[in-house]
Amino acid sequence: MNSARKENPVTDALEDYLETIYLQIRDQKFARIKDIAKARGVKSGSVSPAMKRLDELGLIKYVKREYIVLTPEGEKRARRVFARHQLLEHFFKDILNMSPGAAQKDACAMEHNLSDEAMDRFVRLFEFLEVCPEGRDLLEKFRGCSRVHHDIPCMKEDCKSAHRPEISEEEQQMSISDLQPGQSGRVTQVNGQGAIRQRLLDMGVFPRVEIEVERVAPAGDPIWIKLQGYQISLRQNEAAAVMVTRV
Amino acid sequence: MKKGKINVALAGNPNSGKTTIFNALTGARQHVGNYAGVTVEKRQGSFTYEEMEFKVLDLPGTYSLTSYSPEERIAQDELLAGTQEVVVVVVDSTALKRSLVLMVQVMQTGANPVLCLNMADEAEKAGQKIDTAELSALLGFPVVHTVGHRGKGIDELKAAIKKVALQPLKKNRLVLGERLERALKKIEDRLEKTKEDPKGRGWVAVKLLMDEVPFVQRANQLGKGGQAAVGEATEQRKKIQAETGMDIAIFVMERYYGFIDGLLRETLKSKPRKNARYISDRIDSLLVNRLLGIPLFLLVMYSIFWITFSLGEYPMQWIESGFGALSAWISGLWPQGADSPLRSLITDGLIGGVGGVLVFLPNILLLFLGLAFLEDTGYMARAAFLMDRLMHKFGLHGKSFIPLITGFGCSIPGIMATRTLENERDRLTTMLVLPLMSCGARLPIWMLLIPAFFPPAWRAPMLWTIYMIGIVLALLLALLLRRTILKGKDAPFVMELPPYRLPTLRAVAIKMTERSWLYLRKAGTIILGVSILMWFFTSYPKTKSYEVDTEIEAGRILVSDSPTNKNTDKNSDSNPEVISPAQLANRRAAEDLENSVMGHIGRIMEPAIEPLGFDWRIGTAMLGAFAAKEVFVSQMGIVFSLGETGEDSQSLHETLHREYSPLVGFSLMLFLLIATPCMATVAVTRRESGSWKWALLQFFGLTAIAYVISLLVFQIGKLFF
Repeated sequence: MNSARKENPVTDALEDYLETIYLQIRDQKFARIKDIAKARGVKSGSVSPAMKRLDELGLIKYVKREYIVLTPEGEKRARRVFARHQLLEHFFKDILNMSPGAAQKDACAMEHNLSDEAMDRFVRLFEFLEVCPEGRDLLEKFRGCSRVHHDIPCMKEDCKSAHRPEISEEEQQMSISDLQPGQSGRVTQVNGQGAIRQRLLDMGVFPRVEIEVERVAPAGDPIWIKLQGYQISLRQNEAAAVMVTRV
Repeated sequence: MKKGKINVALAGNPNSGKTTIFNALTGARQHVGNYAGVTVEKRQGSFTYEEMEFKVLDLPGTYSLTSYSPEERIAQDELLAGTQEVVVVVVDSTALKRSLVLMVQVMQTGANPVLCLNMADEAEKAGQKIDTAELSALLGFPVVHTVGHRGKGIDELKAAIKKVALQPLKKNRLVLGERLERALKKIEDRLEKTKEDPKGRGWVAVKLLMDEVPFVQRANQLGKGGQAAVGEATEQRKKIQAETGMDIAIFVMERYYGFIDGLLRETLKSKPRKNARYISDRIDSLLVNRLLGIPLFLLVMYSIFWITFSLGEYPMQWIESGFGALSAWISGLWPQGADSPLRSLITDGLIGGVGGVLVFLPNILLLFLGLAFLEDTGYMARAAFLMDRLMHKFGLHGKSFIPLITGFGCSIPGIMATRTLENERDRLTTMLVLPLMSCGARLPIWMLLIPAFFPPAWRAPMLWTIYMIGIVLALLLALLLRRTILKGKDAPFVMELPPYRLPTLRAVAIKMTERSWLYLRKAGTIILGVSILMWFFTSYPKTKSYEVDTEIEAGRILVSDSPTNKNTDKNSDSNPEVISPAQLANRRAAEDLENSVMGHIGRIMEPAIEPLGFDWRIGTAMLGAFAAKEVFVSQMGIVFSLGETGEDSQSLHETLHREYSPLVGFSLMLFLLIATPCMATVAVTRRESGSWKWALLQFFGLTAIAYVISLLVFQIGKLFF
């Protein structure tokens, strides 16, 4: 590990900066020194040397004096760190059942040094827990345990009795045609193809957008939904193409 | 200063108020609707600003630039043609995020844009504040606030257009993320080696990446370079999808939204309150209520029809008597009793024909006023929402409902209104069955036939039945068409429901007059021409010697204007029949018709229509109905030698009652309802469908159906009555 670090001139701190820049560009089209400083909780003055270094390394580019974009190399790097961060955070929070704050902190600490192999194994574990029925069972049991006995080691009896709740409602994927008037969901997927799908996307029906079914036509079809402050109507068979999770 | 006119195009979502901006800019007369997609025609206008001439093109309202619907295709083609020096993107300020997607796409086409934030007042009322200076700085082109229907901000918009025309945008400030931009650059580089216009290259690259069929096909025809670009696009698409786990359409759209979110984060000073549509929602909770929605809709439609026909009655009478007076005055110019073909042409041909159409103008105006009001308030979109289920069952689209309803006024604007339908098959189906909606011109026929054959208590239900038969047949026929020759996938119904807006008087008035004008033009051109033709066919060849004269000479008929001899039909055989001079003239007229071209055609037709219960006189009048449905009434008047007649003519009612059974009457009404849309309808169908094939199918198809139905009704009915 250490030997590898020596060849790699990008320090953890610099990687953190890259990640911050990446997120800001993703959310607001460009990053500015003062925003970076704010996000990292440091003074603008201390950001500049780091930026200079990143610039020298060819990872970022100044568009104007204040505005920064990532170079292809920089984006790759940032994406790598960010992906690791998300993966670790998911592991700590959702699998180990840690508190969100602690999960976030530990993910930040570990994201820079996770090897490709470790990352691969993590993904395999997640897949196992997600896809394999036994994996799901095990995870649920573990969760039950860690919920009930926060400090005491898990007892065999507890393990048996640990009930496996059905997939909770908010996790369940459903289409908006399954929602009743007054219910809302967050879009996870837009299926379908061709003109219908394009129209849905054009209308802003889009992953992560929140949708409320406001009413249905007298015959139950079409339905009337509200999203982002405006209203559209669509037929049940079109609505079936839009997958949501309940909110 | 630049010489010649500067081309300006207006792009925007349906309901963004684009047409209002167009009106405000150019002062042109054309309509604005709330119903998604009213602007489908190519509309052009012009204005002068500070000694510069601008030519404005109003593009169809679209949500994005794709090749999926005709509107989107037209808008896209116009922008890619590269003839537009400035493109004004009109945006609904109350739905900024979604509306700006179109702006991003316009930017990608390499256009020279101006952003127009319309309905600024509504957005402000809802508490939204946007920093236009900052937004303009970020985008690199002018951003203007407008309130279209009040004309606010129009001068600023003109100034901005001029500025951009003089100083074209240098660099595109669009930031779509490194990944997407890199992929697009690679595809563009491949296109460089082709003949593809450099300005539109960026857009072609986007479309190739998104695998849009027409672009891929075209690129493939561009030779090696084009094929290489398609290959590159396919590869990039696969890579992006593998890397991001996102489908390409979603990936691209996400990048668009990323850019828009960035813009809004920088410039949106305060967000709108949670529910800016509070009032609209309250109205909807009543009007689109699950239980009350449909009854209320039917009530609304009923009120419109009631207003149309009850209020329309009075001006109708004035017009009628006006034409009567005109006709009498012109007749008076010739000496009494003189036989002048010119007088006959003017009074019988021109005034009779055109007057017969103009009489319905008040009805048409009122009906269109009502429909324009419903459209501009936003209720029409709700009506489509309420009716879609039913319409869809018969293979139609919720939006088909509006053209069909308009068909009750007149088939012509109805067929033109089918343009709001995006799908070609939906459009054709609606167009083909539309003449079955009993139009206003058929009303005088019902007013003539129903009282002639049915007792007063039956009349209203009979009229209702006729309308219902038309509706039911239209739906069944639509289903048949969608199952056979017009089979295919349904178009997306996904449709915006704009908030209720109080329409401005001007907008409604413009729309009403524009549509009524279509009707009037029909009277002025086609009907006028056909009236002359029909007049000729009914007046020539002239009868050389009248039978009635021979009878008089033989002493079997006596002409006398003594009022005591009025009851002519109760004369006995031994006494000569006594008729008045007026009746003599009528009998001569009837003989004229019998010997005319029309009379001959009617007779030739007789064997064919006899099984339906019709004779040659009805056949002759039906020929007239092809010219215009209402001509049937006046033709019947002539055939039965009653001189000038209207549908309320007492004597014609009696004559018909005497001559035909109610069964013939019913069979006749069915035939007139279903068969042969009028000539103008056939012509409009030809124009709107783009081929004679559909117009002829409509004409012969409907006539064949009418024949079969009338035949069955008459033949089966004969067994019972």
